[in-house]
Amino acid sequence: MGFLTAEEKGLVNGLWGKVNVDEVGGEALGRLLVVYPWTQRFFQSFGDLSSADAIMGNSKVKAHGKKVLNSFSDGLKNIDDLKGAFAKLSELHCDKLHVDPENFRLLGNVLVCVLAHHFGHEFNPQVQAAFQKVVAGVASALAHRYH
Amino acid sequence: MLSAQERAHVAQVWDLIAGHEAAFGAELLLRLFTVYPSTKTYFKHLGVCPDEAQLLTHGQRVLEAVGVAVQHTDHLRAALSPLADLHAQVLRVDPANFPQLIQCFHVMLASHLQGEFTVQMQAAWDKFLTEVAVVLTEKYR
Repeated sequence: MGFLTAEEKGLVNGLWGKVNVDEVGGEALGRLLVVYPWTQRFFQSFGDLSSADAIMGNSKVKAHGKKVLNSFSDGLKNIDDLKGAFAKLSELHCDKLHVDPENFRLLGNVLVCVLAHHFGHEFNPQVQAAFQKVVAGVASALAHRYH
Repeated sequence: MLSAQERAHVAQVWDLIAGHEAAFGAELLLRLFTVYPSTKTYFKHLGVCPDEAQLLTHGQRVLEAVGVAVQHTDHLRAALSPLADLHAQVLRVDPANFPQLIQCFHVMLASHLQGEFTVQMQAAWDKFLTEVAVVLTEKYR
């Protein structure tokens, strides 16, 4: 058995196929910046982050969120080797971006909330459990090359 | 400390929950146990696979306590003192578990309320529940 059980893979892929990755990315990043405002420290050049509405409507936030989530989506294709899939990105986040890995866990949790928001009752406890496993795995993979 | 705006958002969230404490509480616990199975170690009395009746009963108790906290956001310590004593002396739930419960709370609200659970409400609710968790674990040592 790999990282996820066959059943969990089914739940994850089944739901992910219906996700508008570009939109969800912007929403998740925006939510992160609103709910945990200290994360704005990485985005000083993004312009107006002065209110929830400003953040959620900010075009740089949306564009960056889209980029981040497309990366996440690509990683999902290698679910059994997340550390390999995210090795280069891990080095980048450590050496160039200097991002505390705790931020990956925060973003992962916010992403799960956004999925729950979109999918409503379909996002039941088993689906949540599978996705929490995935986001924890991605966060861990992104932290793996830190030194 | 919650601002007036944040307290208003917390009250808004509570309005959507009030009257349904048992149902929301049961789902909260079910999500907690499913997503973070190690949390079940604090609920041995509910058995390996708690049934719906048990989840409803205990869930109601948890959510009613949250309701008390909502009514007393400006004096949480006083209002939650007996519960803080219980957690410090009897339950001794490791503080690391509270963020997990809080995450499940957000996911539950997002999945039930969808558009009604706005980002501002989530921000205020997260701040509020985090303060409640601090108060509940403050007497641990």
